[in-house]
Formats: sequence, structure tokens, C-alpha cells
Amino acid sequence: MKITAGLKRYLDFFVKYNTAFIFLIMLVVSASISDVFFSSANLFNLVRQVTPVGIISMGMLLVILTGGIDLSVGSIVAMVGLLCALFTHNMSLPLAILASLACGLLVGSVSGYLVSIHKLAPFIATLAIMSVVRGLGFIFSKGAPILVDEHASALTDFGSGNSLGIPNPALILFLVFVITAVMLKYNIFGRIIIAIGSNEEAVRLSGIKVSVYKFSVYAIAGVLSAAAGIITTARTAVGSPVMGVGMELDVIAAVVIGGASLSGGKGSAINTLLGVLILGMIGNIMNLINIPAYSQQVIKGLIIIFAVLLQRFQSSNI
Amino acid sequence: MWTSIMTQKLFFKENSRCRMNRVELINISKSFGGIAALKSVTLKVIPGEIHALIGENGAGKSTLVKILSGAYSKDRGQIFLDGAEVQIRNTHDSKKLGIGIIYQEFSLVPALSVAENIFLNQLGTTGYWMRWGKIRKKAEDLIHNIGFSIDPSLRAGDLSIAEQQIIEIVKALSENVKVLILDEPSAVLGPQEIQKLFNTLDRLKKEGVAIIYISHHLNEIFQIADRVTVLKDGISSDSLKVSETNRDSIIRLMLGRSLDAMYPVRNSIIGEEVLRAVDICLADKVKGISFGIKAGEIVGIAGLVGSGRTETLRAIFGADRLKKGKIFLFGKEHKIGSPRKAVKMGIGMVPEDRKQHGVILPLSIKQNISLTDLNGISNPFGFIKAKREKNNANGLITTLAIKTENEDQEVSKLSGGNQQKVALAKWLNRECRVMIIDEPTRGVDVGAKVEIYNLINELSHKGVAILVVSSESSELMGICDRIFVMRKGMIQGELEKKEYSEEEILRLSIGAN
Repeated sequence: MKITAGLKRYLDFFVKYNTAFIFLIMLVVSASISDVFFSSANLFNLVRQVTPVGIISMGMLLVILTGGIDLSVGSIVAMVGLLCALFTHNMSLPLAILASLACGLLVGSVSGYLVSIHKLAPFIATLAIMSVVRGLGFIFSKGAPILVDEHASALTDFGSGNSLGIPNPALILFLVFVITAVMLKYNIFGRIIIAIGSNEEAVRLSGIKVSVYKFSVYAIAGVLSAAAGIITTARTAVGSPVMGVGMELDVIAAVVIGGASLSGGKGSAINTLLGVLILGMIGNIMNLINIPAYSQQVIKGLIIIFAVLLQRFQSSNI
Repeated sequence: MWTSIMTQKLFFKENSRCRMNRVELINISKSFGGIAALKSVTLKVIPGEIHALIGENGAGKSTLVKILSGAYSKDRGQIFLDGAEVQIRNTHDSKKLGIGIIYQEFSLVPALSVAENIFLNQLGTTGYWMRWGKIRKKAEDLIHNIGFSIDPSLRAGDLSIAEQQIIEIVKALSENVKVLILDEPSAVLGPQEIQKLFNTLDRLKKEGVAIIYISHHLNEIFQIADRVTVLKDGISSDSLKVSETNRDSIIRLMLGRSLDAMYPVRNSIIGEEVLRAVDICLADKVKGISFGIKAGEIVGIAGLVGSGRTETLRAIFGADRLKKGKIFLFGKEHKIGSPRKAVKMGIGMVPEDRKQHGVILPLSIKQNISLTDLNGISNPFGFIKAKREKNNANGLITTLAIKTENEDQEVSKLSGGNQQKVALAKWLNRECRVMIIDEPTRGVDVGAKVEIYNLINELSHKGVAILVVSSESSELMGICDRIFVMRKGMIQGELEKKEYSEEEILRLSIGAN
């Protein structure tokens, strides 16, 4: 009796912090499979790889917390990435970056407008926007990659450089994460977002203008996708219309692995970040031990199923 | 000797059951989490009879229907069908036994044709392919049989409400029902359609179907039923022959209880008029409602479910858009287009459906309470002052005597009464000048009821104008200074305190004068 009670407590503890546990297990497994894993070169590489997905995942988390979804993020990465490269040819760098972010904001706002004002299903609205923006990317670039202009080398230097021993893009990810975490926990914005995802009508009847908040999460997701696009371009010095294909799925997978509920109201920034890292590690370690790309996709899918089943167990447990 | 008498008695009883009754419910009881919906219900219906079942809202009629349909399982009691005891574990059992139920909300699939709907649960029994010609013909025959002509190839969603109901009945008949239960069938029908329905029921009755007809409307019962059983607080009365009874004795059976000392003493200090609604209309639910409430006054709205009372409240709160009408606050007209605007104007609303609209179950008490006044607990940048929020929540928890460990408790884990107190606490946060409360004590235990009544009373003493909707007329009579009775989207009558009587409220709400 006593033993089972104790066991149950451990089990509950494990279930409650399952994302953290999966993260730790992945770390241990990765380290034991490959001795290259903990080398600083590999860790740097890992962090750089996950940064775009990580930045977007914070925006996606907000959208998912309201009970919505945003499928357009990958297309925004491509369009803004190459627009940013294009802008460097005829404007100053700060202006190019601002203009690129504004493009992301605009696209996100269109999604937000369709969802919050016209009450379109988020899946449909952002699916359409995904297609439109992907097409626009090809139109703007005429289908070819665009190099970042030489006078904007500050951008590429930033993208591939380090500060305080940490890759610059990762610092941006960290900043975005901290802001998201703080807003969710200590600001009424986060409070309302979570409440909307739990029970939108009850929030409306409490006298809160729900549409403003639903609009803003898509707008934020748009801006963060744009930031991810700029960073990707900065890292590779080239913007391409085929960037970020299927990225929305990675982002959603990371948020879901992080324990967020697709029906809204449940999820946290730290767990989402862990979800991003878990997903990144899966890819990283499979590369290190030379698993072919096709098999990687299969394994990744299976791990996502496993992680989500574990959370199902958690919610049925409560 | 003794046993032989017993067997004889039993035999006799069994025998009479065989001969007489199609359905017999004996001492059925059912509770939900400690609240008894049905205490002891006995109902016997013979073939070829229309048996009316009436009672106030919350008397247990729907629960009884759901037990017969297999949606709920009874706690105690027995069900006999043609003399044999049956167990109804699920809706499939109920269908197999020949029990057909016409609900208030129809269960037709709008996108499918009439014919497909009628045979929906028989599709596939004759192979995988649809035999369109055959099922259409069969559907047409069935519809004709009960005296209607509806094209079976029409989409169910395109039919009028009355036609849909006919299809529901045809659907039940296609399954060879022995018992037909109709739950408030006339609520959605016009007078001519009701007559048609009655003709149909009469025909079915002659064919030997046992019909249970659930209704609020006394007129209809005298028009169509053979016998009537009254349900009150989960207990059934004796079955009376309609020809041998009258309106007054039925009303007495429906009420028949005395007011207890549950209600606080009213010392109304009534001030100037706070809110005035003029000719409010809302998409055929509310048809021109006008009234005013003064500061410190508690005004009740009585009426049956579907009479438009909830819609009236929602319209004033801006939750639904007004089709027509004006709302004045302190003599000035305001366009209240959204709850947000209403809240800004100092109106608060505790909605009817606590779990769907009143509180957010997965959030904590504290977070639920803060939702109405987030600016009050945060700095200009929206950052939450944790200490102020905590103190504020704890203050309200104490004031309302919410039973909880602390302010971080999830609302879903609270009892119904405490959840309702949280729904009220949300609005005590703000200085509301008008409080709208829809069903203040539904699903709340007696102790919490008294506390909620006291709270409403105290609010009015502070000068808040309060509008209360309730299905329990005794509750309204206990706490209100005036009561409006609504029926079919209109105010049927207004009662001053000295004119209060449950009979009068019931009469007005069922249109019995």
C-alpha cells in the first residue's frame, strides 16, 4: 500500500514534468550514442539549427494557446528571408530589417483579421495564407535564390557570429523565449490568451474584447516568423523561395511535444523551448550516427506520437 | 399460508400488469452527485392512451425521458414493458424495446434527404447499396399513413420545424414503436401545426400506441390527454383522469409547497431609475420587451424555458445583437453592442450556464475573479501585481464564504455552489450599478442558496439595480420586489409584491388565462 502510494507520487511527478524528463533522457541517450554529441562544435551547430524553429515556436505557442493554429509560418520564413536579401540591395540594413519584419507583421495581421473578425477557422485561413505567401515568395524572387548584398555584410557577420561565446541567433531565441515566458506568466496579455483558449465565450462575457487578442497572436506569430526568416538569410547569406518548406509542421510538433494542447488553454514557454530542443536533438543525433534522411522522418514521426501519447496519459490521469 | 397469499398477490399483480399496462415505471429514482433529480416516480401507461406528464422546470421530466431512452441509467426502481421487467442500459436497448422519443431538439441530419433520415438506422440492413426508389417509396407511404404529404427526397434541413417534427415521428414509427414519448412537442409549433400533430397522435392512439406527452401547457392536456400525471421535485402524483379533474387541481399539484424561511428580509431602499429597456427585440426570441429598474431594486423575470427570458438578459448585456430597441442608463441612451461595452457602463452578468459561460473551469479561483478587472490588478504595462491580485481574491473568497483551500484552487474542483459564488465574485470586483443574474441558484445546494440570496440582498442594499431570472417562482417571490412573467418573447404580466402567488406566475407563464 505504502509502496504503491510512493510509486504513484513518482509517477505523477514524472508525468507532470514529462517534457523535462524526455529532454533529459534525450540528452543521456544522445551522449551515450555518440561521443561527438557534447563537443562544442556540435552543440553550436544544434543550437543554430533549432533557432528559427525555436523563435517561431513562441509565436505558435501563443496561437495554439488561444485554440488556433498557424500554418503560414514556413512560407513567411521563405518570403521574408528573400525579401530581406532583396531589400539589402537598395536600402540600409536597419531599414531592410525593419521592412522585412513589417512584411511578417502584415501577413500575420491578415491571418489574424480573417480569424478574429471574419471568424474563419484558423486552419483554413492560415492554409490559404500559406499558399499565397509561398507563391508570393516565388514571384518576388522569380524562382531563384537572392544573395545578400555585399554592403550588408554586417547581417551575415551577425548571423554566423558569436557574442559571449553563444551564437547570435541563439541569443535572439533566448530573448524571445524570456519575453514570451514573462508575458505568459506575469502579464494580463498572457492571462487573457490562456483564458481565451480555455473558454472563449466566458472571457467575452467577462467584458474582454476577445477579437483584439486573437488578432494579435497571429500578428506576433507573423513577426516572429519574419525574424526567423531574416536570421536564416543572415546565416546563409542567401534568401531562397524554397526555405522553410514543412517548417510549420516542425514548429507545431515542437509546441505539442512541449505539452501544449491543440484545443487551447494549456502550454508553457519553457516546455515549448524544451520541445524545440528535443526535436532538434532527434535530428542532430540521427545525423551524427548517419541515419539516412528518409528513415529520419519516420523516426521523428514515431517519437512525436510517443511524446503526445505520454501527455494523453497525463490529462486522463488528472 | 402466508407465502401462498404472497404468491397469489404477486400473481394477481403480474397478471394485471400483463393485461393492462404497456409501460410501467415503478419507484424510479436518479441522483446526480448527491442532488436527487428523481426521488420516486411511478407511471403506468396503457396501450391506446395519451398520458400527459407535466411539471415545472426542473421537476425531473427530462431526466425521466432520458432514463427511458437509455441516456441515463436509473439508480433504483423497475421498468416493465408489457408486463416483463426490462433493463435499458443504452439507447440501443431502448430502440429495440420499441420506445420512440421525439425530443425538443430534433436529431435529424440536415444534409440528408427525408427518406434517408427516416431509415437512417436501418440503412445497410439490406446490403451495401442504396435502393433509392425503394426507400423513397417506403418513406412516402409512411408519411401518407399519418396524413401528411412531404416529398421524401427533400433535404431535411430545408423542411419547416413542424415538418421536421413529423419526420421525427415517422422515423419513430418506421421502427415499430410501442411507446412514443414526446418532449414538449408543441414548443416549436404554430396553432395549425399543433392541430395536425394532435390529429396524428389521435390516429396513433387508435392503433394502440402508448403515448407519453410531456408539456407545460395545460390547454393542450385538456385537449388531447386521457390521463395526466404531475411531477414535482422528482416525485410523481397519482395519475388522474383528465375528464375528472380541472385546471386548478393540476396547478395545485404542480406547486403544493410552502415557502420556507430561506429568504432574507427585504428592506428595499429604492432610488432613481438606473436602467430602462424600451421595445427590445431579438431575432424572434424577444418581441418588444420594455421595463425599468431602479437603484436598490430587485426585479425578477419568470417564464418557462424558451420564453425569451435569458435572451432578454443577454440582449441587455450586449451578448447578442439587438434587432430593435433602446437601452437607457441613468436616463441616457447607450448602444450596448458588446459585453465589453456593458461592463464599461457598469453592468455585470452572471450567465445561466455556469460551466460554459460563467466561470473558466481549468483556471484558478483567483484568475477567474480577476478576469473582470484585469486593469485593477496590473500596472499600466499590463504586468500583474501578484500581491494585490491575491489579496483581492482572498477578500472575495472570505466575503462570499467560498469553501476552498486557497485562491489558486482550480474552479473545476469546487462544488456547484462554490463555482456559482466564483461566478458572482467576478462581478463584486467591479463597482457594478446593474447586476443581471440568470438562474442564481441552479444546481446549488440549499446552504449555498441561502448565502447567495443574502448576497443578492446585500448588493441591492448598496444601491445596485438587480435583474434576476429564475425557473423557480418561489425563489423570485422570495427575493424580488417585482416580477415580470414572460411568455413567447413578450411580457405577459407584471406582479407587485402583494399580488405574488405561484399559481398566478404559473398561469401567466403557460398562458392559462
